[in-house]
Amino acid sequence: MNHIKLLFFATIRDRAGTKSLEMDIPANMTIQDLKDRLSTDYPNLKDSMKSVLITINREYAFDEAVVPANAEIGMFPPVSGG
Amino acid sequence: MESSNLPTIYSITESEIDLNELLAKITLVSTGAAAIFTGMVRGVTSRGDAHETEFLEYESYIPMAEAKMKQVADEIREKWPVIEGIAIVQRIGKLYPKTPTVLIACTAAHRDTGVFEAARYGIDRLKEIVPVWKKEVGPNGEEWVEGDYIPKPGE
Repeated sequence: MNHIKLLFFATIRDRAGTKSLEMDIPANMTIQDLKDRLSTDYPNLKDSMKSVLITINREYAFDEAVVPANAEIGMFPPVSGG
Repeated sequence: MESSNLPTIYSITESEIDLNELLAKITLVSTGAAAIFTGMVRGVTSRGDAHETEFLEYESYIPMAEAKMKQVADEIREKWPVIEGIAIVQRIGKLYPKTPTVLIACTAAHRDTGVFEAARYGIDRLKEIVPVWKKEVGPNGEEWVEGDYIPKPGE
């Protein structure tokens, strides 16, 4: 198992009801697998998982990427700074 | 001059954006032009969905945002090697109408060097890849503003 930390921002944080979570995941888990697991474990996040942006260790990451051990995973909607 | 020696400022801050201080930091003895873009909270919007804004509340994934601002600065230098100094600053927190929220400034020896385009590119890229969000609060309640850009691998 790999230990990872999830950070939620903006709408995703509101729906999750928390800024961060820590969890243990299988070593070969992909971003898509992680989204599926969060949709199951946190029903409030299910709709958000369809359009969420994901980062691994502060770089944008995509569905097929494997989540490394001790990863810092960011989850948030498309950005709206400026 | 090697680009690693050129002044590059990138930060997320809760403090007031000080244009004069930033401009001084990115002005070299060879600088003759600066293009500055700053955005502020608009209290009254008439274009599109007309509405009023009481304040905006900004938040950021700060360490990633500062890394992405550095990336934007690197992209500017790659596209416009003549650029001398670059400042990219995003203010976060609760910000009221007329308050500057973001500043992108680029300096160069002359104004016809692409310095205007470089600053334009900087604000456009910031709005695409730098993780900052704003919640808009107005007379009819509050709503997160969401962008529409989906970053590609390598961005």
